[in-house]
Amino acid sequence: MLEVHDLTKGFGREEPPAVDRVSFTLDHGAILALVGPSGCGKTTTLRLIAGLERPDRGEIRLNGRLVAGAHTFTPPEQRQVGMVFQDHALFPHLTVEQNVAFGLRGRPAGQIRATTGEMLELVGLACLHRRYPHALSGGERQRVALARALAPCPLLVLMDEPFSSLDADLRGEVRQQVRAILKARQVTAVFVTHDQEEALYMGDRLGVFQRGQLQQLGAAEQIFQAPATRFVAEFMGNSDFLLGRVTAGGIETALGLASQPSPLPPGAAVEVALREDDVSFEVGEPGNGVISERFFRGAFNLYRLRLDDGQILHAHRPHTEIQPSGTRVRVYVNAGHPLAVFSAGQGVGGAG
Amino acid sequence: MRWPLRWPAISPRLALAAGLVAGFAAIPLFYIALRAAAADPEVWRRLLQARIGYLLGNTLGLAVAVTSGALALGVSMAWLTERTDLPGRGVFRWLLALPLAIPAYIGGIVHLALLRPRGGVIPQLLAELAGRPVAAPSPLGFWGAAFILTLFSYPYVYLLSGAAFRSLHASLEESARTLGRSPWRTLWEVTLPALRPGLTAGALLVALDVLAEYGTVALLRYETFSSAIFVQLAGRYDRSAAAVLSGVLVALAVAILWAELRAQGRARFTQMESGWRPAPPLALGRWRAAGFAVAAAAVFASLLVPVAVLLAWSVAAVTDPAMLAAVVRTGSQGFGGFVWNSLWSSGLAALLAVTLSLPVGLLAARAPGRLARFISRTCQVGYAIPGVVIALSLVLLVNRFLPFLYATPLVVVVAYVLRYMPQATRASESALSQLAPSLEEAARTLGRTALQTLLQVTLPLILPGLLAGGALVFLTSLKELPATLLLRPAGFDTLAVRVWIWAEDGFYMQAAPAALLLVLLSVAPLAFLLRREQGRR
Repeated sequence: MLEVHDLTKGFGREEPPAVDRVSFTLDHGAILALVGPSGCGKTTTLRLIAGLERPDRGEIRLNGRLVAGAHTFTPPEQRQVGMVFQDHALFPHLTVEQNVAFGLRGRPAGQIRATTGEMLELVGLACLHRRYPHALSGGERQRVALARALAPCPLLVLMDEPFSSLDADLRGEVRQQVRAILKARQVTAVFVTHDQEEALYMGDRLGVFQRGQLQQLGAAEQIFQAPATRFVAEFMGNSDFLLGRVTAGGIETALGLASQPSPLPPGAAVEVALREDDVSFEVGEPGNGVISERFFRGAFNLYRLRLDDGQILHAHRPHTEIQPSGTRVRVYVNAGHPLAVFSAGQGVGGAG
Repeated sequence: MRWPLRWPAISPRLALAAGLVAGFAAIPLFYIALRAAAADPEVWRRLLQARIGYLLGNTLGLAVAVTSGALALGVSMAWLTERTDLPGRGVFRWLLALPLAIPAYIGGIVHLALLRPRGGVIPQLLAELAGRPVAAPSPLGFWGAAFILTLFSYPYVYLLSGAAFRSLHASLEESARTLGRSPWRTLWEVTLPALRPGLTAGALLVALDVLAEYGTVALLRYETFSSAIFVQLAGRYDRSAAAVLSGVLVALAVAILWAELRAQGRARFTQMESGWRPAPPLALGRWRAAGFAVAAAAVFASLLVPVAVLLAWSVAAVTDPAMLAAVVRTGSQGFGGFVWNSLWSSGLAALLAVTLSLPVGLLAARAPGRLARFISRTCQVGYAIPGVVIALSLVLLVNRFLPFLYATPLVVVVAYVLRYMPQATRASESALSQLAPSLEEAARTLGRTALQTLLQVTLPLILPGLLAGGALVFLTSLKELPATLLLRPAGFDTLAVRVWIWAEDGFYMQAAPAALLLVLLSVAPLAFLLRREQGRR
């Protein structure tokens, strides 16, 4: 459906490219969520697919047709790609109805009326069709923008942080509606966000971006359990990293030996990713660290632990269990699955 | 951005001050309406039969022609410099705005000298080349006046539409592209319609300027209401007829101003909020050369030709000892005297206009509502009262109620303030509406009184906005001609007046140094305004 190959785009000679050799494919009807910190190149990738930017290198194919390549550039109006903008970009001089009908030009009047009505029905705004954008709430604008993008039945819908301008409590609700609409119509979509939770909710597949590069692409579970790079582990799931050294029997760390095989030669320096649910502790002397802070999270307590060698880890405990700061504890790994191990930022062996 | 109303109540003192300012601004309007209504029915009948239809046709025809011309030229130039890869657009942005420093009548004088049917430079040149008289386009009459006024009023539209193009979100045009529109169709279906209210407002201001224009139409012998009123006042001393004509003219202008204020209101809805991102300029491709040629032609006719001709004449005047003597000393007045008169009267008018606009702006920003809107709109009527009408009402009013002011330069300053206060009011309102009320509230909770807050917090923060308003009033007062001509005491010559009197007598070269200096003096406040405008991008 969508094939992106070796896509590269820079905005100036001194700066590194905003999008750096990105390749991926997307199947019909799937939603891909591109996630990463701001300025990581995910929005530029989206704009390259839409045809709003010209790639420096690489190819983009839609339904097998080359739309951007070394000698090809299809302008956005000929790509049949719908886009939902971060600011919604509703035309201020047109009503809701006229906005939705904007992309249907050239079709028979009856069909335009029917499609527009159907779209407004779909997003639940049929009663507001005569309003102008300035008289709509944020959530309503969002849905008009989606209806407008979907109305011409595009091959692909691109969404650039579409929920970021909404209030937090509205966001969850609109997000749910949008996903339901996309799934009901089997729309292929690429979705950009900097919010990992939103990416997990919206995406059938996730692509994690950093500094213009696609670090990892896969199902959400895969990315969580087997992060390809240290950055992915850190960004998706807030991992801590424990220094370690490869030995014959496994990986030697400040918390003891993790007995899992490693492809690296003995003596190699590595980092082990530990999420807060992989770590636990017992109170008691002599121990190997202290509690430095407790954060009450309602359903559980999150403890920040400082090991005797200065490394910091976090651990989950039940909300009933309250320990004061400064308590000496014995920290241990309680994962129940192989741990993700990184050497020089890249994933090696372990869970990968 | 508008801040929500958080002021506990309208301060009665502020409301009173603002109300007084509005009353002052509205005096000429009401007085003219009164005088027109009270005029002898015989005068009305005579004028209705013989004059009003003709003048209405002439005035409206010119207003429509100039407004459409300025709109077409201003918007297309703004589009070229803001949204395309026109070569040299950084320079064009300045050059296309600079004709604002040239009063239309000075531009008219230059083009008239070059093109006039008998004795014009270009017809003579053509006749010499061809060996016989050749018909060249004449700058006289309707088309000449329309050409000259378009040439020197398009920068208003250009600046307003340039700002509008810049404020437009790139995503608006981009979403039109993803919905199947080519760049050209996007311009016509999205960009221009979305900006239409703002552009309409700019065009209607040009129409008001055309109604008020005296110098150019008198010079090019095209009769409009303004020039007819001027003749009634200065030549025939028929104040009754002048009042009747003024009444009709002001009614027309108020209707246009009302439409302008409505368009302004609608423009607010189409303005985008935050998160502006520059839109990539459109590649003109093979049209690049054509775009460059059009922009260069506009700059050539509206800026290069007038400045070059004025320079050449000035050099000729200064190098001729007899003419130099005439330039430097006219009667009892020296050249320095004209300059000083121009500077102090315009400067004082700017100061007064800004000061008076403050209570109005404060009321509009801090206590928005019907009262504030009414007062703010009343303060806009100066736009609708042409200079000749202001002069007429001041002559009558001062004679009757303030005789000690009669025939003093102060009447001239009052005329400037009445005519140009709307510019100051708009600047103050926009500066104050962008100031968060929480800043003033913070000062109050930190122990400052309302007055201390105004002086220590509000004024320093809105000073740039006030300066911009003042610069605009100064610039337009400097160029003002008809009210100055009619109201000035004997011997009170400003640069504008001197240029006009010399040029009317045909002494173009003698007028040139004063005209050039007038243009140069206007460039300073204009450069300040343009820099501020471009800094907002």
